[in-house]
Amino acid sequence: MSVRSRGAAARAVLVAPLALAALTTPVAPVALAVRAALAVRAALAAPFTRRERRELLFCLAGLPFAVVSPLVLFVCAADLSWLAGGTGRGNPSPADLAIAGACVGLLLVLAVSTGAARRLGALPRGLATRLLGLRVAAPPARRSPGWRDGAGRRTWPGPGLRDGGGWRVVAYLLAKLPVSLIELYAVFFWIGGLVNLSYPLWWGAFRNHPPGVRLSPVPVFTPLGLFGAGTFRVATLPGTFAAAAAGAAMLLAAPWVTRAATSADAWLIRGLLGPGRLTQRVRDLELSRALAVDDSAALLRRLERNLHDGAQIRLATLAMNLGMAQKKLGDVGEVPDAAAARELVGAALQGAKDALGELRSLARGIHPPVLDNGLADAFSSLAAGSAIPVELEVGIPVRPTPAIETIAYFCAAELLANAAKHSLANTIALRAAGQSDVLLLSVADDGTGGADPALGTGLSGLAQRVAVVDGRLTIASPPGGPTKITVELPLRA
Amino acid sequence: MNARVVGRAGGERADGEHADGERASGGRASGGRRVNARVVIAEDAALFRAGLARLIEDHGHRVCAAVDDGGALLAAVAEHRPDVVVADIRMPPTHTDEGLRAALEIRRQHPGTGVLVLSQYIETRYTARLLEGSVAGAGYLLKERVADVDEFAGALERVAAGGTALDPEVVSQLLRASRRADGLTALTARERHVLALMAEGRSNAGIADALVVTGGTVEKHVAGIFDKLGLLLDEADNRRVLAVLRYLGA
Repeated sequence: MSVRSRGAAARAVLVAPLALAALTTPVAPVALAVRAALAVRAALAAPFTRRERRELLFCLAGLPFAVVSPLVLFVCAADLSWLAGGTGRGNPSPADLAIAGACVGLLLVLAVSTGAARRLGALPRGLATRLLGLRVAAPPARRSPGWRDGAGRRTWPGPGLRDGGGWRVVAYLLAKLPVSLIELYAVFFWIGGLVNLSYPLWWGAFRNHPPGVRLSPVPVFTPLGLFGAGTFRVATLPGTFAAAAAGAAMLLAAPWVTRAATSADAWLIRGLLGPGRLTQRVRDLELSRALAVDDSAALLRRLERNLHDGAQIRLATLAMNLGMAQKKLGDVGEVPDAAAARELVGAALQGAKDALGELRSLARGIHPPVLDNGLADAFSSLAAGSAIPVELEVGIPVRPTPAIETIAYFCAAELLANAAKHSLANTIALRAAGQSDVLLLSVADDGTGGADPALGTGLSGLAQRVAVVDGRLTIASPPGGPTKITVELPLRA
Repeated sequence: MNARVVGRAGGERADGEHADGERASGGRASGGRRVNARVVIAEDAALFRAGLARLIEDHGHRVCAAVDDGGALLAAVAEHRPDVVVADIRMPPTHTDEGLRAALEIRRQHPGTGVLVLSQYIETRYTARLLEGSVAGAGYLLKERVADVDEFAGALERVAAGGTALDPEVVSQLLRASRRADGLTALTARERHVLALMAEGRSNAGIADALVVTGGTVEKHVAGIFDKLGLLLDEADNRRVLAVLRYLGA
């Protein structure tokens, strides 16, 4: 099925061609210049933001973890064994390596099975939460293997040897070593940059020798090294300004190096210190199931409330009016009170019409009949009913499952209604495109923007409904507009 | 009859077993004669409220106040001291059972005021709460019963006079769920019908009207029912209703 509702699109274009043109014009060059200026300012200010300080602190605080890396422990143990062996010459023998391996292995087994590894893993996770704002849930607690003695007392105090969470902490410590080196490098960027920057300040204090004295030059740190190759040397006061310039450059680059290091570490923490992909998936599914259950319960409650306060009470009133009219008409023969009877029947008729209207809108709210013919028809009927002209573009080659169609329809209806209510827009563009296994729905308007899911229940409710089927709702609505809300839905659910 | 009810509305209504008997006789008589009751209505749907007021005034009663929530109902009852209150169970602000809670409060504070609660559903739990303690001056009807205007007015007058009015739906639920179903099988179909009407709170005259038989026939059926169920036959309608409801396990 591939439908493109040219009719509706053409109609909308006819209604407001000017506004549409404004919507599709590329961003003006002035705006580009402003954006570039803002980016430069952000780059210059970056070293001095709170976030940078926190990231630097994270790099520093994470360094001790490199020391307890199994690799470092292994090397230390092998060296100790080699020293204790008494020869003190040559390389450690295979026996030394074997002893070191056994020691480190035993240590790791102990750490994992007593739960010490897990407690160790909680430290970088806590640091990441405090300093990087990275919230990673602890891996699910493993039930103790339950070794019990005769009296039923537990004899083993930890989660046991088969604790995946503990072993993943070990993996983290192994992988952390190279990351720690990058973090150390990031710290060097800050310190080296500051030192270089200070060269012109202290140059005069130490270099006040009589003229003619030849002084050995001072090395300047560069990203390539501390001493020797990769550095350059300065021997004169003007030279120190070159050093200061190098320092400034390093300081400007430092935030990005720091961020690269912390991002790598955050990636490791998320992957190895969190609940694991399957567990995380189970958690996500539990959450979305809870949302689905809540959603359907809320739907039923709303339905009951609408019936109770709407059609039901109207029908009761209608029956009452008819009952009273019947009494006014009398049993047989002459009508005792024709005027009152007429009035009551009139009220009853009005009540019946109102009740029918209520029931119709209620039924349509449950399942719009137009949806039976597919989303293209449903969207064009939505577009036709919109108060603001809608430019419609639908291309859905494969029909999604009914549940997805329903969610997509109600999303579109709600987004169009939102735009009509809040945006003060001249036109709305509603696009739906089916890609390989994703349905992309977007509603864009040229209105005032500032849509915020925190302000009302509408958008967050939509996001919840979409999340139930693993979909995603993205809002781009800067103050001043334009607003574009995109809904991604899987084709089947 | 008229004078007595108006006089009682003046505030000298007694409560207790004796008064129950007296009121029951009033309830019995109300089937045919007109009672001038003072009524307060509480209902949040404006159209239905207006229709209800008109219906009640058409039957010669006076609507002192028509309000739309539980708090206003309590205030109106304190102000007007009506003979009977007609209250919707589900009203603002919580839309749950504030009407019923207000009704119970009225029954506690003003035992002389009859309370007729209306609802779109029959909830057995609500029946039990409403009839706790005494069945005198209490009623629970489905809203749709107002379509039978005379039936509804009869129920209203019965409750105003201290009688009972239970919806046929309440009674049939009780009959269905009764723990003594085996005892009920001993009754003939006609007797079961009479039992149901009795449980609704109708007097012998009311039952005779509904079944289009003479009062004597009804008395015979009632005696048969009490005999078969092993209940003590009581002349007072309310105690009779109470006995039937207790038997059914309400």
